[in-house]
Amino acid sequence: MPKSDLAEETKNDVEQAGPVDLLIGIAGAVNKDEMQQYLQNMNADLSATAQSSHVVVAYPGSSELESGEAERFAGAAGVNAPRFLQYSLPAGDPAVLPWTIASAAQKAICSLAVELDAKVCVLLHSDLAMLTPEKLRLFTSPVLEKACDLVVPVYPSRKFEGLLNHSILAPIARALYGQRVRYPLAQDLSCSARMCGKLSETDNTRERSESSLLWPTTQAALNSFQVCQVNVDVQHATQTEGLDLSTVLSSLVGSAYIEMETYAPFWQRVRGSHPPAVSGNAAQQINDGEPVDAKPLIDSFLLGSHNLQEVWGLVLPPVTLLELKKLARSSPEAFRMPDDLWVRIVYDFALAHRLRTMNRGHLMGALTPLYLGWVASYAQEVAGLSPFAAEQRFEQLARSYEEGKPYLVSRWRWPDRFNP
Amino acid sequence: MTPQGTLKRTGSASDPLWYKDAIIYELHVRAFADSNNDGIGDFPGLMQKLDYLQDLGVTCLWVLPFFPSPLRDDGYDIADYMTVHPSYGTLDDFKAFLSAAHERGLQVMIELVINHSSDQHPWFQRARHAPPGSPERDFYVWSDTDHKYEDARIIFTDTEKSNWTWDPVAHAYFWHRFFSHQPDLNYDNPQVIEEVIKILRFWLDMGVDALRLDAIPYIVEREGTNCENLPETHAVIKKIRAAMDEGYRNRVILAEANQWPTDVRPYFGDGDECHMAFHFPLMPRIYMALRQEDRLPITEIMAQTPEIPENCQWGLFLRNHDELTLEMVTDDERDYMYLAYSADPRMRINIGIRRRLAPLVDNNRRRIELLNSLLFSFPGTPILYYGDEIGMGDNIYLGDRNGVRTPMQWTADRNAGFSRANPAQLFSPVIMDPVWGYQALNVEAQQSDASSLLNWMRNMIALRKLFRVFGRGTQKFLPSANRKILAYVRQYENEQVLCVANLSRFAQPVQLDLSEFEGMTPVEMLGYVEFPTITKQPYSLTIGPYGFLWLEIQAASVTWDEPATATVSEPAAIEIGRSDDWETLFSGTNGERLQTSVLPEFLQRQRWFGGKSKEIHSVAVTDWCPFDEGQSALVLVAVEYSSGEIDTYFLPVTILSDDAAQSVRETNANAVIVPIRSAGGDGVLCDALLRESTCQALLSLISQQGTLQSEQGVIRGIPSSMFAQLMGDDTKLSARRSSAEQSNTSILFEDRLIMKCFRRQEFGPNPDTEIGRFLTERTQFRQIAPFGGSIEYARKGEPAATLAMLQGLVANEGDGWEWTLEDLERYFESSATGSLSGSALADDEYAAVREHAGIYLEAASTLGRRTAEMHLALASSEDVEDFRPEAVYAADLEALSRNLAEHATRSMELLKTNLSRLSDDAVEMGSLVMSRRREIIGRFKQLATVKSKLVRTRVHGDYHLGQVLRAKADFVILDFEGEPARPLAERRQKQLPIKDVAGMLRSFHYAAFSGLAKHTARRPEDYQQMEPWAKLWVTAVSGVFLQAYRETAGESPIVPATADDFRVVLDVYVLDKALYELGYELNNRPDWVRIPLSGILSLLS
Repeated sequence: MPKSDLAEETKNDVEQAGPVDLLIGIAGAVNKDEMQQYLQNMNADLSATAQSSHVVVAYPGSSELESGEAERFAGAAGVNAPRFLQYSLPAGDPAVLPWTIASAAQKAICSLAVELDAKVCVLLHSDLAMLTPEKLRLFTSPVLEKACDLVVPVYPSRKFEGLLNHSILAPIARALYGQRVRYPLAQDLSCSARMCGKLSETDNTRERSESSLLWPTTQAALNSFQVCQVNVDVQHATQTEGLDLSTVLSSLVGSAYIEMETYAPFWQRVRGSHPPAVSGNAAQQINDGEPVDAKPLIDSFLLGSHNLQEVWGLVLPPVTLLELKKLARSSPEAFRMPDDLWVRIVYDFALAHRLRTMNRGHLMGALTPLYLGWVASYAQEVAGLSPFAAEQRFEQLARSYEEGKPYLVSRWRWPDRFNP
Repeated sequence: MTPQGTLKRTGSASDPLWYKDAIIYELHVRAFADSNNDGIGDFPGLMQKLDYLQDLGVTCLWVLPFFPSPLRDDGYDIADYMTVHPSYGTLDDFKAFLSAAHERGLQVMIELVINHSSDQHPWFQRARHAPPGSPERDFYVWSDTDHKYEDARIIFTDTEKSNWTWDPVAHAYFWHRFFSHQPDLNYDNPQVIEEVIKILRFWLDMGVDALRLDAIPYIVEREGTNCENLPETHAVIKKIRAAMDEGYRNRVILAEANQWPTDVRPYFGDGDECHMAFHFPLMPRIYMALRQEDRLPITEIMAQTPEIPENCQWGLFLRNHDELTLEMVTDDERDYMYLAYSADPRMRINIGIRRRLAPLVDNNRRRIELLNSLLFSFPGTPILYYGDEIGMGDNIYLGDRNGVRTPMQWTADRNAGFSRANPAQLFSPVIMDPVWGYQALNVEAQQSDASSLLNWMRNMIALRKLFRVFGRGTQKFLPSANRKILAYVRQYENEQVLCVANLSRFAQPVQLDLSEFEGMTPVEMLGYVEFPTITKQPYSLTIGPYGFLWLEIQAASVTWDEPATATVSEPAAIEIGRSDDWETLFSGTNGERLQTSVLPEFLQRQRWFGGKSKEIHSVAVTDWCPFDEGQSALVLVAVEYSSGEIDTYFLPVTILSDDAAQSVRETNANAVIVPIRSAGGDGVLCDALLRESTCQALLSLISQQGTLQSEQGVIRGIPSSMFAQLMGDDTKLSARRSSAEQSNTSILFEDRLIMKCFRRQEFGPNPDTEIGRFLTERTQFRQIAPFGGSIEYARKGEPAATLAMLQGLVANEGDGWEWTLEDLERYFESSATGSLSGSALADDEYAAVREHAGIYLEAASTLGRRTAEMHLALASSEDVEDFRPEAVYAADLEALSRNLAEHATRSMELLKTNLSRLSDDAVEMGSLVMSRRREIIGRFKQLATVKSKLVRTRVHGDYHLGQVLRAKADFVILDFEGEPARPLAERRQKQLPIKDVAGMLRSFHYAAFSGLAKHTARRPEDYQQMEPWAKLWVTAVSGVFLQAYRETAGESPIVPATADDFRVVLDVYVLDKALYELGYELNNRPDWVRIPLSGILSLLS
């Protein structure tokens, strides 16, 4: 974000802030009392975290903190207390999805970091679960001590949480951009100064603004920046609760597809992937409890298979359609979607998205029953397994994405419908 | 504020070099889409089609003139520069179009037609009524006579008889290079330039991204010149460019200069004139190459294409709105093109052919695709002409060039979907014939046909846009014996693409030397298909009729999650404290292990190691010093063989860790010496020439005249007097190791310098360095790779050894040997139908050889001249002792005669021993040679008859076609090392320069018979018939080479003064060389022994 995009009030605050070692940005609306409590609790440790005393906390201006309260915070906290800055978020639209808001907030915070010339910028979820000295240290030390540019978290693994991430977003980031990160759309992260620069620069052309999600790991890959992961024992509330799945797919996977289109010259040359350095103790694995009932998921898949054949026929090649047909005929107990089939489906939809084979909303709608089919297959497969075994399953799937990448590249480069 | 009072708008591109990656689409507003149904296309119509253009993938729209005009030259006769022709809409319509294009990320280029205006322009009307000498009158070029500037050619020969036309109002002639209704503006009048700059600002203020300068070479006239490309013209362009740079960012000027590439080059200036210029001569040659199924027309014109400034770009096209111009071809080429591509005279206009792409290639889809593949993969920005993406046809029955300017064919509906007007109302009839008619050939149909040309074009454009190498990379042609195949490598940063095109209508095989990419994998770019890994061996491909391959050359694929399988198993790691602790590495237990097992094993794996056939007894590190800030070490190792011989090798080493170590293991496993474990982690000790910083440090050692103290001696960098010039303004050049490694290792510094690191070290002056330095610094002879400096190593008690030599990198078309073989293939092909008696060269046979090998004869003459110039230069110094010519006395000749005779005796013995092993056809020749043994040995005694005064000088020493490069229709001579197998002292001896001449003559002979063997490989029965042609070629080529050599040498004592003496000395050396070859072939390649045998017999006859 160029300087002029910052609110006038923020700009004035920036000018007064002086040198900044650590910027902590809260990427979303924050509860005033809670924040006050957190900060008071950790004030003494903040300077140690940043290896200096110049700390700024940024929060969205539309939060419950009223004008003037920021200064009161500062006053209450003492001489070495952090300074507070407000940044503005775009006017709230109730239809805007939570991760879109978070992305906008993250971008605004990165712009602020650039303005402040902050050495490190930590972007945190607005539930403030990460706002403890230990966790902040986890996020800042790779940047300060290991010249890492982007630090992203590894949340505790759960078998039935984050499936969209594990089945599409993370393996795409790995296969395409060579980054083996567990959460490419992390809600908490920290960035070096130059990483903030890149994230604040990401352009908003007509096409990209449709999704305007911030993909920090992609930007890190594009710029050959070093990425690190930290294990954290924090879980945020599920964001997709109450949202229509097609909308979620459209927004998240659609955004990943747009990234693919934008950076095609880059990812087509990336070969293999590498794991980033990981720090912090591996978090405890959490058992999700009761197994998921796959039947309604399979029913959704079958309904889609019945109604969407024509649409799928525009997107998927005959061999994939044949396998789906066989899958539809299989008994619920034997319902398994092979990894390579799922990977080809995701890649073929990416191509159809790029070619605008049909309206993109409809396209993502057509992906929904297929995704539910995959979830059903996965749920049945890992029902009796430990969270660790499920994690291994995702690793296996991610490898299939990598193995299937030549298929994607060849389809992308020569999108002839006459294919196997 | 602009003249219109509106705000200045920015262009749409953010990258200043956007035009390098652009795909330009040229269109007529008039012919594209008609929104108001008046039969004429307009801007609102064009706007409706922007989605189509965006979907096609083009990035820049070049809009042909849309200004008010009488339209007597399709709008290039402008009557008002600052508005829009009412038929096409309004200025607001244009602005709306511009804005809509920018929204879609499309740039817009318009025309700046400034050579001339319409005679209806107010400026001209005012001028013809104004009194002579008045500023108004001087807007144009007037004369009382039509005899001024008579050296200027007439361009529109079909319609104009003179460049002057009488104006009855002005009572004077006015000057016009084009139609008589297009008077040329007068750039000697400063007001004209002012007005032009006003026009430029008017459109740039609006946000236009690029301007095409029409007919730019003709804008200034001067008596006694052809009124083209004058210095004053460039001054005007610089003013225009300066005005553009002053107020606008990321805008572009494209020059239309229909000239030879060398004449177009000045239009780029120093990057301060035009950003782009069309490459006119390439276009007809692409068509010629296609029809002749021969790559030569293309490679020759590209060889004549000069380098252009970094921020400039060529504009490439297959067709455009004008005729396929044949101005930039020879008369023969023009005749050929007319015969090949314009059977009906109506297809011709002016000096060219007025046809579209598809009709030109007989609507053959594969030909269209092939030509587009060349367009998209050649260095430059491709420009597509509207309609060619669907293979639109033309109408040769329309006048002027209107046949290629018909309405765009959108649908099968009335008027091709171009307009809903009454068909009679259209500005031009749509094409309606059964083959090209819009009913069958239109956008809508092709959009719904997945296999259509339109979809193919869209895919190709999308693919090209994925790779910046196509717009920005270098191009290097790869030689191959099959001239129907055009192969070239494009390189840009880390992208490298091999393009191979088959110009023939039949499938063709080709073998390419890709050894510089050894170990890498070509990946077919359209389908992402991996091809077999490249090795040192020639890479074989078969390409279908008119087929083409684009292969991205990638590092060999790596199995994910596992380290790549190295070609060699690594020994156990050596442990050291720090990664720069060289002392610990080379001493104690580590040193012992290195010397006894690690280094011997490593050396045996190296291509440059010359002792592979010998048993290594031990390897000792004899000297070393830390280098490159401790990251590397320069090491000398002594290799002792079991036989007791000792060789010294230069071995720079480094330690790499983490990703760098992994990378070298994956891509250059052979360069790994041993794994290393240090406090910094695990890594590998490997060849330091893989490390860019070390290569840079070697260059710096020369540039800084650095000195390094090693354990036992001193290492010094010594720049030549030409170093600064070779280095240019850059302080840092990126370095990479050349994979074409033989006995030495070369480092390339961009495309400017090459550093040859000599591996086997001999103490004493290196002849290559010595002669390179001498010729560069002390003579005017410039046909060598310019010497840039050297790195010398000296230790007590021994003369210095040369560790590395730096030279300027010479752009070339391949070495003389490959180039000759290519030409011979053509020679044999074209002469295959003729017959020859095989007798002495008669006049008609001279004519025959001239007909079939004319170009090569010229080249041989050039080579003869260059050889003599080299010898004269080598003999030019009396000051430098090592180069001072020495007189040759009778006793010297006698000794020489004796030595040569002894050598001949040994060769004959060898032949005798091996005679029974020879093939049937060679044994007869061998016996014949044996039967004349006495005569052969006796020949050397003839040296005693030489009475001319002779001198001995330093010579090349190993002179043959493989030691010269073909570069820009000339030759560059390389590699003065001498025969590597001979001892240094012998290689530095002064000798008779004719020895080199003999070497080259033998090389001609070898080339002719190698070419013949290749040509007749498939039809051995043709050998006898073709052999006289080979002999004829050798005789003719040797003749012109010698003639040019002798003429250039003149009276110099480097050649005997009399013809008889010259012949005696030459024959003796040629015979000696042939005998040397005989020995070599008997020992190494018995199948080739026929060549030296036939050479010996020919000499005896």
